[in-house]
Amino acid sequence: MIKHEGLKEEFNYVTKPDEQEHIEGLFASGDMLMQEIAYNLITGQNDQVGILVKKALDEDYAANIVLDDGLIAGMAIVGVKFRDNIIFVPEVLISARAMKAGMEHIEPILSASGIEPVGTVIMGTVKGDLHDIGKNLCIMMLRGGGFSVHDLGVDTKPDDFIDAVMEHGAAIVGMSALLTTTMPNMGTTIEAFEDAGMREEVKIMVGGAPVTQEFADEMGADAYGANAIDCVQKAKDFSTTKNGT
Amino acid sequence: MIDINLKLTKKQRVLNALAGEDVDKPPVSNPTNVATVELMDYVDAPFPDACRNPELNAKLALTGHTELGFDSIAPYFSIIQESSALGCEMQWEQKDNWPTVRMGNPIWKSISDIKIPSGFLEHQDNVAITRSINILKEEVKGEVAILGKTMGPWTLAYHVFGVEPFLLLSIDDPEETKKILRKLKEITILFGQAQIDSGADVLVIPDHATGDLVSGKYYDDFLLEIHQELVEDLKVPLILHICGRTVDRMPSIAKTGMAAFHFDSKNLPSEAMEAVGEGIRLVGNINNPETLYSKTPEDVRQEVYRALDSGVQLIAPECAIPLKTKIENLLAIPDAVNQWVSNKFQS
Repeated sequence: MIKHEGLKEEFNYVTKPDEQEHIEGLFASGDMLMQEIAYNLITGQNDQVGILVKKALDEDYAANIVLDDGLIAGMAIVGVKFRDNIIFVPEVLISARAMKAGMEHIEPILSASGIEPVGTVIMGTVKGDLHDIGKNLCIMMLRGGGFSVHDLGVDTKPDDFIDAVMEHGAAIVGMSALLTTTMPNMGTTIEAFEDAGMREEVKIMVGGAPVTQEFADEMGADAYGANAIDCVQKAKDFSTTKNGT
Repeated sequence: MIDINLKLTKKQRVLNALAGEDVDKPPVSNPTNVATVELMDYVDAPFPDACRNPELNAKLALTGHTELGFDSIAPYFSIIQESSALGCEMQWEQKDNWPTVRMGNPIWKSISDIKIPSGFLEHQDNVAITRSINILKEEVKGEVAILGKTMGPWTLAYHVFGVEPFLLLSIDDPEETKKILRKLKEITILFGQAQIDSGADVLVIPDHATGDLVSGKYYDDFLLEIHQELVEDLKVPLILHICGRTVDRMPSIAKTGMAAFHFDSKNLPSEAMEAVGEGIRLVGNINNPETLYSKTPEDVRQEVYRALDSGVQLIAPECAIPLKTKIENLLAIPDAVNQWVSNKFQS
């Protein structure tokens, strides 16, 4: 149940019944401190999020509860607002910064506890392309969704994707491109996985401003993510299949 | 209005269309880039050299007129020339990819860092454009419109401050952001004026406040006034270019006083025309990654017809084309315009 007044207003932006149900479920405990964390994350108050997360941990809230019921729950509303063009990249960036402020307190505890991530994803912008903002938003949302993400950065060679998959045992690869000249490098990377005999071991998703479902199909990708929230959904879909876990 | 009895040069056709005056047919223009690998090979002027050497640059730019039959030529193929001159770290790439600024390693952090280097206009990568315009002016002898290009302050800010730091600053300190944009505008004017002095007939102002990144309100808050000022400062017709979904900010763009707006295929021609009304002419919006890159001349023709039927005044690819675009698809653009005019006035 959502009790926090500001959060109630933010929740009004969630209009799809299935998403309302899902997000209400994330706030089912009705804990005001978690809702305060979520609200401050949505509004990009990074200092406040850091303080509140630390306070929660000091009060013996479990780290995974703070992550799920505070940070991830808040980020779920951010994702919906972003997808629906209620907010844009700058507003998402300040929420991401707030998430990071909270994660600085949570991550060491989670790492020490050995909690398994939902899945492991390798992310990178393809060879020849130096644009990374879309990729970074996807990474932030994926981490918010419980995935372990290894970011290869920009201008990523096909072999680097392959090496990272082997090194981290990842079953999902995400590629981004902003330029029409570099989009074909998604196909080149997919071919490299085929040549390495690893295509069946990974699910490959692609995205970026000029990329379309049609293009993704032509390249032989397993999925196209139209936006960051879609990217997380596709990764979750993979995680429920044999290859995605 | 189209008056097929008019006999216009390519340049006149472009200038008339930009001014909202009568034309004999809608011009085919290229506010961003139509150089391809095929054309680079044809005139032996490959990237990145053609971006940095004025003679090679002019050879390649001229193919827009000689080989493709477009009404304009545009020697600035990418979006990085002045950023290179400012000292940004560059990745020059090869002929099948555009040079790019390494925005992950920005050169400036705050407004106090903004300094235009002495000799900015004499930098190799700026001279490549201004000298190329001189050469093209001699070559085309006033028959073809020469489109210069100077980056708007928003795009420059991405290059010199990095995209994420700049967008974060826009939320953390909007007033500082506005001051930064005003200072960067000086660079836009400086390089733009240099191209006018070299002979550019028109200037394109790419300023990527796209709907893929920021809201329409951002355009109003940060850029509308600056763009209006550019119209006062640069005394040639200006074409604003913003990629992506922009229909929400088109009514504001129509108030800039610029001659035209170069728009993306993510916006339907009909909705774009409705959004701008009589305020500004539209240039566009043939889809690049699918239609021009991978479909057929017939698909190109259909998109050209759709734009013309909607009233788009100048026909162009939506943005800089994929460098491996087939020439036959580019040739299909002016062919389709001619066919459309012929059909329209026969019936």
